[in-house]
Amino acid sequence: MLIYSVLMYEDLDDADLARRIGCGTDREAEAALFRRMAPRIRLYGLRHLRDEQAAQDLAQQVMITTLEALREGRLREPEKLASFVLGTCRMTVLNQRRDAQRKQRLLEQFGADMLTPVWTAMPRLDHEHLARCVQNLRERERAVVVMTFYAEQTGEEVAGFLGVSAANVRVIRHRAIHQLRDCMGVAQ
Amino acid sequence: MNCSHPMDAAVLADYWSGALDKPEEEAVEEHLLSCDSCSARLGEVIALAEGVRTLAREGSLRMVVSEEYLKRIAAEGLRIREYAPPPGGSVQCTVTQEDDILIGRLTANLSGAQRVDLCICDGSGNEQLRLPDIPIPSAAGSIAYQESMTFAKAMPTSTMIARLVTFDESGSERLLGEYTFNHTRSMPGKGAW
Repeated sequence: MLIYSVLMYEDLDDADLARRIGCGTDREAEAALFRRMAPRIRLYGLRHLRDEQAAQDLAQQVMITTLEALREGRLREPEKLASFVLGTCRMTVLNQRRDAQRKQRLLEQFGADMLTPVWTAMPRLDHEHLARCVQNLRERERAVVVMTFYAEQTGEEVAGFLGVSAANVRVIRHRAIHQLRDCMGVAQ
Repeated sequence: MNCSHPMDAAVLADYWSGALDKPEEEAVEEHLLSCDSCSARLGEVIALAEGVRTLAREGSLRMVVSEEYLKRIAAEGLRIREYAPPPGGSVQCTVTQEDDILIGRLTANLSGAQRVDLCICDGSGNEQLRLPDIPIPSAAGSIAYQESMTFAKAMPTSTMIARLVTFDESGSERLLGEYTFNHTRSMPGKGAW
């Protein structure tokens, strides 16, 4: 029965889940939305916080705020859920030092057991294969990829090193990413 | 759920590296927050980026690197061993277990060169590897070549010659500089290629 219920909720789109939550205390809809949204928010957190634990904390805080808003009917247009969540992400990142007690109280209110996301692990890459793929790039492509992802240099900084424009750096990076994914056997 | 507007992995790489302008970044984020398949693709891009970071930290890539790259390496507490033989000259060199990054500093007059190749040769001068069209740092009189540390640590006592070459208008190769590295093995064992 539970499996049937989970499958049914997985078929609903984000806006439908938001509507169900707004109609009352549909705990299964809340759990389904949490399972779906939390991993996406975690990626936002990784991008902006560059820390796995902080990203997971962000996902939990944003989802609690979102569910709270949905329960109270504060999201009038469920189709704009992603926009609402994005705004909440930004606010939460700006206000990271939240009251731990409030978080604990809300977790109890919404049910910590229900709101436990299953974090999707990052895909594992064959390290030796990746090394060969990176080495097989053209010199400038390899330089752009390493300077971007390791040295965290901006397009302008990389452009200064290569003696090309920032727009050209972007073109080179795009070509390199496609070649690396192709070499690694990842579909584009 | 299928995505009606799948995002290009290269755009997601721009997003991950902070290369998008604000409106583009916001559009990407809003889409990612509503799309599992593009979020999964971003996960693949992040794994790729992290893999590249790991390769850089290992010093296992053969490439011309920037000064910013070397600063980043030093800031991470990694140990850089650098040799700078003069053009036409040689240097005695080695690597130890504690070294993380191996750099050959090659000084040459690079002004006006449209294309420069770096040739790696054996002790007899026979070309073993060529890095074509290497980045030429603007306003710099040298390039920093990173030799693979994995390779260097496995290397027996031997000589390696690096050559910087450019091309004239007729396409003929012209030597910019030749640099000899006399490597003495200091790692345990005899070493092997």
